[in-house]
Amino acid sequence: MRVNKKLLFIYLSIIMFFVVFLFSLICGSSGIYDIFKNIDANMVFIILQVRLPRTIMACITGAALAVSGCVFQAILKNPLADPFTLGISSGAALGVVIAFVFGFASLTSFFIPVFAFLGAMISVLIVYIISIYKKFNSNSMILSGVVVSYIFSSLIMLMFALSPSKNIQASFVWLVGNFNMFNEKVLSFAVIVVLVGIVFLSLSGNIINVMSLGIEKAKTIGVDVERNVKFLFILASFITSVTVSVGGVIGFVGLMVPHIMRKILGANNIILVPMSGLFGAIFLLFCDILSRVLFNSILIPVGVLTNIIGGVFFSILLFKSRENAL
Amino acid sequence: MINIKNVSAGYFKNEQILKNIFLNIERKDFLGIIGKNGAGKSTLLKVLCNLIKPSCGTVCINNNNVIFFSQKKIAKIISFLPQDVDVMLPFNALEFIMFGRYPYMNIFKMPSRNDYIVVKKVMDFLDITSFAKKKIDSLSGGEKQKVLIAQALAQETEIIVFDELTLHLDIGSQNNVLRILKKLNERYNKTIILTLHDLNAASEFCNKLALMDNGKIYSYGTPDKVLNYRDIGQIYNTIVAVKTNPISNKPYIIPISDECIKV
Repeated sequence: MRVNKKLLFIYLSIIMFFVVFLFSLICGSSGIYDIFKNIDANMVFIILQVRLPRTIMACITGAALAVSGCVFQAILKNPLADPFTLGISSGAALGVVIAFVFGFASLTSFFIPVFAFLGAMISVLIVYIISIYKKFNSNSMILSGVVVSYIFSSLIMLMFALSPSKNIQASFVWLVGNFNMFNEKVLSFAVIVVLVGIVFLSLSGNIINVMSLGIEKAKTIGVDVERNVKFLFILASFITSVTVSVGGVIGFVGLMVPHIMRKILGANNIILVPMSGLFGAIFLLFCDILSRVLFNSILIPVGVLTNIIGGVFFSILLFKSRENAL
Repeated sequence: MINIKNVSAGYFKNEQILKNIFLNIERKDFLGIIGKNGAGKSTLLKVLCNLIKPSCGTVCINNNNVIFFSQKKIAKIISFLPQDVDVMLPFNALEFIMFGRYPYMNIFKMPSRNDYIVVKKVMDFLDITSFAKKKIDSLSGGEKQKVLIAQALAQETEIIVFDELTLHLDIGSQNNVLRILKKLNERYNKTIILTLHDLNAASEFCNKLALMDNGKIYSYGTPDKVLNYRDIGQIYNTIVAVKTNPISNKPYIIPISDECIKV
């Protein structure tokens, strides 16, 4: 794609973002409002108190997952890396299951994001400690993430098996990721953290570019590889953990969006990182609208839709790709 | 210019791949490092570029010890092309060459006008302007090697180090690449250090050779001195004859088969 076409795509994406954002405000299980006619107090309340927070939540979750997916794929030099490769999702899931099974969640719903965040941070910490010993070798990092995921998943299964609690159903709904039950008290915190994180990661585009060449080459070009990997790893993990804690585990966005963007815009992370964020927000908003309007009056967890749409789309991409690699 | 004094080094603690190496490399040298697989050639280059810290001894460039250099400072003095450069992401040639300007970029690491001028000059020199927008993975082996060299040149360093640059290249592409290096050496006064497996190419293009064996410098000097049938036979554990190339007057090496020896 030539440069002017890339620019056109960027402009179109920005317009598309605003269109989808607006749609997200006016579409819902209670029908589509015509905002240019009969505005009543009830509608204003629904839009401002229910749909706006939900829409903002979908935006920052999509953007955070896509941006961290993009960063992880480049610094781990693995096209299959995503925000959850390093065990963040299973850590958060374990935290939430503990909160539900041991009854913390029933005390106050505020404990759900707190436990999810603690779980995610514990898994990040374990992977980080192993990575320090392995000098941030990308294969060791991925393997340690996989190992942590397996152990945490087994612990979740163990808890499900031992617990007769009815809360298992509630934690299950959380695990697939949905925006029906997020805690609005933590929303403003999540928005600030994610936006600051995305700005920093976007400004690190060229460092990410150089690090994707491999440790040796990056060092000889003048990059302090270890320091930068640490910084990018912690920042990307942190914004993922925050969004997972608030919105649940939403798959495929972090894997798929950077791939699609790379096909359209090329590999330059200076453009790719912020554009992945924008497109991640558009994609998740779109899925969230679908989840609300697809089956009248039944809200489907958005994580289910992202997995289905993402999976089908990704398979088509794989079939159409001329090269063996994606 | 480069002074390697009593250097021992390895990848792990207590591992010694290099054993007490002494080597002096002069400005404008075109030094070829030759030797069997596993002799320590690549390790020597990595020590030189401060990628591995020596367990004893010192590597000095212009009388300054390299271990005290920051990664950025060393990137302005030595450019290094490792054996395998990952190009996992589909960058185009121009973007890829621009990475060589990294040590000169500002805090946001955005290329300046001057960076574009330098990259353009390098691409003109190597005659690769035509595929500036092509993706790296769509280039042929020879073209890709030129792009890698371009990246190293964009670093504008006095010393350029290549590890097995001509591996996997056909004889035409190999000669092409080595001719470019020779031009850089003679016309632009760059100091070139490279490891090579093709002894005849090493003899033709390098003005100094270092023959390594088992982590040590076995012999060092001009190709006439280093490439003699006794040393080469002994180090590579084979039998060779050494003749003089009638055109360049440089030594060239012919492997001898067992049947010839019996006759």
